[in-house]
Amino acid sequence: MSIMTYNGAAIIAMKGKDCVAIASDTRLGIQAMTVATDFQKVFKIHDYLYLGMAGLATDVQTLDALFQFKHNMFALRENRNMSPSAFLAMVSSTLYSKRFGPYFVEPVVAGLTVKPDGSVEPYVGGTDLIGCISSPDGFAVSGTMSEALYGPCESMYKPDLEPEDLFETISQCMLAGVDRDAVSGWGVVVHIITKDEVITRHLKNRMD
Amino acid sequence: MSMGTRYSFSLTTFSPSGKLLQIEYALNAVSQGATTIGIKAANGVVIATEKKMPSLLIEAESVEKVAMLNEATGVTYAGMGPDFKVLLRKGRKAAQAYYRTYLEASPTQETVRELASVMQEYTQSGGVRPFGVSLLVAGCDETGPHLFQVDPSGSYWAWKAAAIGKNYISARKFLEKRYTEDLDLEDAVHTALLTLKDGFDGEMDETNIEVGVVDVETGKFRLLSEDVIREHLGNL
Amino acid sequence: MASMNDVVQSLKPAGGFEFDLCARNNMLKQMGLKAPKATSTGTTIVGLVYKDGVVLGADTRATGDTTVEDKNCEKIHYIAPNVYCCGAGTAADTENTTALISSQLELHRLATGRHSRVVTALTLLKRMLFRYQGHVSAALVLGGVDLNGPHLYTIYPHGSTDELPYVTMGSGSLAAMGVFEAGWKENMSEDEAVDLVAAAIRAGIFNDLGSGSNVDVTIIRGVDDVEVRRGYQILNPRPYARVRPNDLTRGTTTILSETRTPIHAGHVEYTNEDAVDMETSPVESGGPSSS
Repeated sequence: MSIMTYNGAAIIAMKGKDCVAIASDTRLGIQAMTVATDFQKVFKIHDYLYLGMAGLATDVQTLDALFQFKHNMFALRENRNMSPSAFLAMVSSTLYSKRFGPYFVEPVVAGLTVKPDGSVEPYVGGTDLIGCISSPDGFAVSGTMSEALYGPCESMYKPDLEPEDLFETISQCMLAGVDRDAVSGWGVVVHIITKDEVITRHLKNRMD
Repeated sequence: MSMGTRYSFSLTTFSPSGKLLQIEYALNAVSQGATTIGIKAANGVVIATEKKMPSLLIEAESVEKVAMLNEATGVTYAGMGPDFKVLLRKGRKAAQAYYRTYLEASPTQETVRELASVMQEYTQSGGVRPFGVSLLVAGCDETGPHLFQVDPSGSYWAWKAAAIGKNYISARKFLEKRYTEDLDLEDAVHTALLTLKDGFDGEMDETNIEVGVVDVETGKFRLLSEDVIREHLGNL
Repeated sequence: MASMNDVVQSLKPAGGFEFDLCARNNMLKQMGLKAPKATSTGTTIVGLVYKDGVVLGADTRATGDTTVEDKNCEKIHYIAPNVYCCGAGTAADTENTTALISSQLELHRLATGRHSRVVTALTLLKRMLFRYQGHVSAALVLGGVDLNGPHLYTIYPHGSTDELPYVTMGSGSLAAMGVFEAGWKENMSEDEAVDLVAAAIRAGIFNDLGSGSNVDVTIIRGVDDVEVRRGYQILNPRPYARVRPNDLTRGTTTILSETRTPIHAGHVEYTNEDAVDMETSPVESGGPSSS
């Protein structure tokens, strides 16, 4: 078994029209044994930026604290929030500095970049465990069954969805994915981030 | 600074009256330095300084007083040239480190903060003396054009228009009279040159001053060529 | 205990690598947990010297094991206004190695006031890769034009280098070299060079499973005379596109709970997840409060 599958996780981030969504499962396992069904894998960095991390749970929590700290220090220093792309770059350089003894985490971010005119631009992206950035056009996935997440995302995703349609799309992709993964699932949480509000929903799904 | 096995005392220590005399002496070195002007316009910033050579025999092109920190930021100084070079190198490195971390250009104030923290460190560390320079930093970022001054003590602040070095008091008065909020960059260059000329000892031409500008439109800092400076001087 | 100095240090970008997790990671390995693989660029990358400059080419597929992680990644990296570099190998290594050397060259240009030379980039890259003894797995094609004319090099992960008029690298290098060997001639025109480079990349895309998607081309004619043709040939578009309206009607997904939090745009946030609401009820006398 790989270290990346020790605890189990499934995460998707998706771009919509002036909005983004990020979803994760909520299971924490020790291999096949489920330990908790309310484990947090998506973290709020600021109003317009959420970070999801799949991988070794201890590293997920350590890095959440570290990235939270780094963002807070940045915000205090520069009196502004990090843009999603700057945040992901910071995540990337943090992970790459441990290139030869890595954290076992594959992060995904979903956020809105505030443009000078006040409008927002959706951003999703992710890195591998040593910080190689990819910022795809539509969606980013991460977790123990990324194959089972890529499939539904590739077929169901389309650009410029309204927040409610984006919610249905990311939710159904997530549910389809975790149902084919033995070590993730047991609850799904979805965040939809728009210019004016963030909507957080817990989904009903299989508990086996 | 190295805090090795050997004792190392700071040369900058308080006088009984509560002053750090080394810093005041550093400021004296600055106020004897070349007159240096900075003006923030609505659409950019100009920094300009005297570059007088002590001898006709010096190749003036080999002396660089206005320099680029990164693509959108330039810096010049009044005071000691070699000290400036050290700060320039550290400032450029800090700007690169910022870019490598965030893949975004360092905002002007962050570059200034790095420079200021280096200068502050040299007022409190063992075995070193403060820097004998004040800096004028011109830059553009997301939030618009900026002009900063950094002093040997490590304090820094933003100006609309600033003068440092020799005659800085009269130059500042000159700027106070002429500064307007909606100044265009071209006019700011004009005013900067006028201010320099006002206190200039001898004939001012394109070879004995240096001018750098950063404009909001391109977000790029550049040195004005001798030809461009000559043209501006013709219009004074 | 962490001193303030440690805190400050932790904020500075780290120079070099940190190895503090290695002991933990080795322990996990001994427990029988397999170490995961990083994203690699299976990759076909090529370069070609023509009459007036250099043409670089690359495919755009990034893979993690056999999964396509990125269908349109950028493998031709900026090094300097007159130098670019294609990367194959571990994606994070090619990305960071080229970015680091690009940064060093920019400092060098600022310090010297001269344009970068391609050999300078080559030397910095090979010295870095040699220092890490092949563990930084970047296989590079470096091309550029400087005062000495066009230059094209390959750099292997251990730090060895070649200078040749036409080169290929990556898992698709054999397919691409086949095309070059058949079609290369001296003093090619720019159009001929771009055509041949694209053909070589196509050979990789269609014959090597580690390479795929599109052809990217960068033409370097001189300082600040560079043409980056991202998506020069898009060879594998999706044959269909889903159309509106969405066929997942709203309400499809069963929701257990919902919270809506309004956002007040423009305010800077300092989060503290561990912050707990202040205890406001009076503490009973005779012992610490418990909940």
